[in-house]
Amino acid sequence: MDALTTSLKIAASGLGAQSERLRIVSENLANAQSTGNFPGADPYQRKTVSFVSELDRISGGSLVEVGAIDRDRSAFPLEFQPGNIAADENGYVKLPNVNVLIEMADMTEANRSYEANLQVIRQARDLISMTIDLMRTP
Amino acid sequence: MEPVNLFDLATRQSQWLGVRQTAIAGNVANANTPGYLAHDVEPFEKVLERTAVSLTATQEGHLGFSASEAGFRTRAQEFDGAPMPSKNTVVMETELMKAGEVRRAFELNTAIVKAFHGMLLAVSKG
Amino acid sequence: MMIGPVGALRLTPSLGTETANASAPQQASAAGTSFADALAQAASRTVGKLESAETLSMEALKGNADTRQVVDAVMNAQQTLQAAVAIRDKIVSAYLEVSRMSI
Repeated sequence: MDALTTSLKIAASGLGAQSERLRIVSENLANAQSTGNFPGADPYQRKTVSFVSELDRISGGSLVEVGAIDRDRSAFPLEFQPGNIAADENGYVKLPNVNVLIEMADMTEANRSYEANLQVIRQARDLISMTIDLMRTP
Repeated sequence: MEPVNLFDLATRQSQWLGVRQTAIAGNVANANTPGYLAHDVEPFEKVLERTAVSLTATQEGHLGFSASEAGFRTRAQEFDGAPMPSKNTVVMETELMKAGEVRRAFELNTAIVKAFHGMLLAVSKG
Repeated sequence: MMIGPVGALRLTPSLGTETANASAPQQASAAGTSFADALAQAASRTVGKLESAETLSMEALKGNADTRQVVDAVMNAQQTLQAAVAIRDKIVSAYLEVSRMSI
């Protein structure tokens, strides 16, 4: 596989990884207020993504993949909401350990990385095009 | 000794640029991968010096280049920026700048080849 | 590398005084000789431009040249080559025409 096609493949894997990251961020954001449904229940637990680089045997390129989707083990914040179904005997409800600001920052980062990978794809595609153009008679 | 033929040199450079593009793609894709070290290909001058050495070892009179004869070496780059807790050394701005360099060099390369190819055709036309 | 076909311009036969050449230098000697001189000069000029364009391009490929200089040199070579080829073609067809003339 020639080098330019390999770089397309690598950038495509980057797009996939960043998309997955965005998906997890939106899941976290959507569930930022999701509490449990019985007294003392655990709420939604924040998910995190970790990437690993994968050496592609055929092309020799370093692709990227989602290694694992983990759970954030930090403590659930407590809030006094005695009327909530999930309130314990003292009236406290466990809220998801999702920090909206952090998730928004992560989303911006993921978008930027996605764009950068897209740039690489565009450039590789243009370089291939230029090479083929050499043959065309003016 | 280096490639004496313009077209051979241009082919060699475009192969090198392709490998560099691949290294940049790997860096951009792995910008968030923990422990990943940014890679780059060795400079083109080094490649020319190196192949000059290996050329004399092969048969005399064999002046062509093939991608298999002298592969381009990629190496993890030295990093002198702020160390990240994830040990990742990719700096996106540097990668995008390198990508721009690759593009400019590639455009010049194909333009030169096209121009001289055109001249050859014009001269050979009956 | 491809100077051969252009260099053949140097071997043009003398075509006599009928042949017109707009850029022929005004000399006291016979018009046929000065035309051949002009042609030889044009040929060597072309070869010179081609060589310098080739050298500069190879430097550019190694990353050691100013882009505008390379572009200028190559365009120059293309212009000179186009003119030289046009002259060569005219000479060849004129020669064929002359050779077809009945004596």
